[in-house]
Amino acid sequence: MLNRIETIMAQAKDLNTHRIQNNTITIEVAYISSLCDESKVSDFILVPFLKDELEFQKNISLNPNFIVLTDTAKWSETLLRGFVLVQLEGTVYTLDAARVIRNENPQTQVETAIMGSQVSLSEDLIDSINIIRSRYPSPELAIEERTVGNCSRTRVSIIFDSRRVDPSVLTEVRDKIMNLEVDFLQAPGQLERLISSRKRSLFPTMMITERPDRVTSSLQAGKVILLVQGSGFALILPATFYDFMHAVDDEYDSFWMTRFLITLRYIGVILTILLPSLYIAVVSYNPELFRVQLAFSIAGSRSAVPYPSFIEVMIMLFMIESLIEASVRLPKYIGSTATTVGGLILGQAAQQAGLVSSIMIIVTSVVAISNFVVPVNNMSTAIRFLKYPLIIPAIFFGLAGVAVGIFIYIVYLADLRSFGKPYFRFIGPTKRHSGDIGQVDQA
Amino acid sequence: MSRYFYYHIVLVSLLNLMLFVPHILIRYRYQGAVTSMALAVVIGTAMTFMYTYIMGKFPGLGMPEILDKFLPKMVVKPIMVFMAAMWIIGPSIALVSYAVLINRFINPDTSPVMVLILLSGVCIYAATRSTLTLAFLVEMGMLINFPIILFILLKAVRSDAINWDAIRTVANYWTQMPNLQSVGAASYIFTGYVSFAIYNRLMPPNIRIRHRWIIPISGSAILLLTFFVPIGFHGTEAVENYLYVWSVTADSLMMNYGFIERVIFMFLIMYLNLTLIYTASGWHQAIEFLKALSNSYKPSVDDVPMKRNGFIYSTVIALLTVIYLYYVNEKTTFAISGYWLSFRMFIEIGTVVTMFIFARKGTNSS
Repeated sequence: MLNRIETIMAQAKDLNTHRIQNNTITIEVAYISSLCDESKVSDFILVPFLKDELEFQKNISLNPNFIVLTDTAKWSETLLRGFVLVQLEGTVYTLDAARVIRNENPQTQVETAIMGSQVSLSEDLIDSINIIRSRYPSPELAIEERTVGNCSRTRVSIIFDSRRVDPSVLTEVRDKIMNLEVDFLQAPGQLERLISSRKRSLFPTMMITERPDRVTSSLQAGKVILLVQGSGFALILPATFYDFMHAVDDEYDSFWMTRFLITLRYIGVILTILLPSLYIAVVSYNPELFRVQLAFSIAGSRSAVPYPSFIEVMIMLFMIESLIEASVRLPKYIGSTATTVGGLILGQAAQQAGLVSSIMIIVTSVVAISNFVVPVNNMSTAIRFLKYPLIIPAIFFGLAGVAVGIFIYIVYLADLRSFGKPYFRFIGPTKRHSGDIGQVDQA
Repeated sequence: MSRYFYYHIVLVSLLNLMLFVPHILIRYRYQGAVTSMALAVVIGTAMTFMYTYIMGKFPGLGMPEILDKFLPKMVVKPIMVFMAAMWIIGPSIALVSYAVLINRFINPDTSPVMVLILLSGVCIYAATRSTLTLAFLVEMGMLINFPIILFILLKAVRSDAINWDAIRTVANYWTQMPNLQSVGAASYIFTGYVSFAIYNRLMPPNIRIRHRWIIPISGSAILLLTFFVPIGFHGTEAVENYLYVWSVTADSLMMNYGFIERVIFMFLIMYLNLTLIYTASGWHQAIEFLKALSNSYKPSVDDVPMKRNGFIYSTVIALLTVIYLYYVNEKTTFAISGYWLSFRMFIEIGTVVTMFIFARKGTNSS
């Protein structure tokens, strides 16, 4: 039995197999240690077997917890549910010893969903694998373990569905992790920066998530998951730009509303990147862009402001960024005070003092709010930066400069690859027989 | 993956405005522009169909590799340089005329040379990416810009300001004989297929371009819009006075609802994107042709071989473009554009026919 299980689940490192012997008989025991409560295994099997007070054979047949399993095809499935398999004289018994993580596990906090899973990945590798395995009961789920960091010796698990995974991606990940030169590894974000091909990328090419449902649906889509011991976040790769724009509830909620929300997120991203530079371009170069009434009201609201528009924009962006940064760093209980005070000052006093125009206040708040509609945090942070480089061409070239800046971003996105996969590409319905571009490579 | 083929076709056909095609056609509106357009549809469609046949015969091969198969190296190299030159001129004219356009319509205070330096800097960056990146760039650019351009075109056609009598008057000159410049200009609409001199490297072996009947229909539609809509707006005589006739036409349109009232701003920004994409893709092909001169060059789809050479070539191209703008005025640019369009037509016919012969020979021998 053991050989057979080992061949079925060859890639599962957490599979435990024992062949033990007492005075009279030999038994074979197999279980997945991460899914099982090992004290149960010893209480029910190992101790009674070794003590041998009551004949073990009789013990097993009397104890209702042991159930005979005749179908050999169900072995891996039962093992994956946290059962122990015991073979005694050619008969296989199962014993439920599952250890399922319950409420003591952390709740999702960074990437929340109303109707999705409320449990997040655990900081403990074994618990996280337990959560993933219990949601993805498939014998194809392969788990490999590596150690990264000369000093920290951090355990990193590579999890994938061996039937669906893209082999080229998997090889690249293995190579990269194997060749990592780092002393201390603590977080998946750090790992992401280390293994991505561009060290100073503007956009994340791997997704960081704490949601087990996102992890399992990515596994099912053939992606590779990296877990780092000591962090409750998983790294999903490869990823495309569009993946970052989808929240997990997009699959759970009403169809039309979620499609609408996805559109809203894209609009939000465009606004948060463009508005500051557009404000500069419109106020300083092309007020005739807008209809007359709007152009007048913008000019009117700026009448008290004594300096050029880009200084105004820089002041406000500085204020809003420090506000966001402060509310992240401050302890939870003071955090709300900071936002209230900051919001009041930004909203009322700055405008009345003639430091900034009232339109600029609206621009700033739209920029800040629409930045946070991006569901995945590492993309949201990346997008937060994108508005700054655009300010420079807006100062020197106005509207045309902004358009050129956006063009550069699009070129950059089109040039990004996530583990050899295109990052920013419109994937429409492709018929299987028609082939894809870029497959024939002579190099 | 036929869509990648159509992106180039549509991109080039929309970009005709930047190469003064409408103005050339309008200048000959009483001397055979209408018949020239009809002739150009026939020529352009025939060329495109022949070229798709050639592409199917050489999957995954660019033009340098195909020529290498059939001709000795000494003959291929001059052809490469010549092709690269052809690929530089068109996009560079578009870029130069766009820099001037920005100066005329968006920022009258910024000098066109400064704007051109910015634009060509961006194009250097974009053109030195890998071929696959350029394909994605063209795709995204078309998906973002095309709907808005379509909206503007529809708005123009459905506008009340259009004078259908003027259009009818000009259309009545359909009995005139076609002339060379108009045919050259009009056939430019169909010339998107030549991009596949390089982009064919991306095509999978079993490529079949579907729905090819779209090409003559969309081409003629764009040609008719390009030619007749300005005439409808400005009248049969006044229309000749504008060099950037479509920008003025777009400025005649108004959007009554929303923040932006004047259509011209949307129009200019959309065409800025299209021009940048077109120039990046054109320069990229020129660079690839020049790189193929070296014997050690190995074409690659997703890597950029000989990166440094690519940068040097594109910087030289950009410098030439800026110097050109500095010394040459719009009138000369317009004249050059007219000659280049007709010259280009003959070169393309020659190239396609030669390649077609090669394709036939290649299949017979194998």
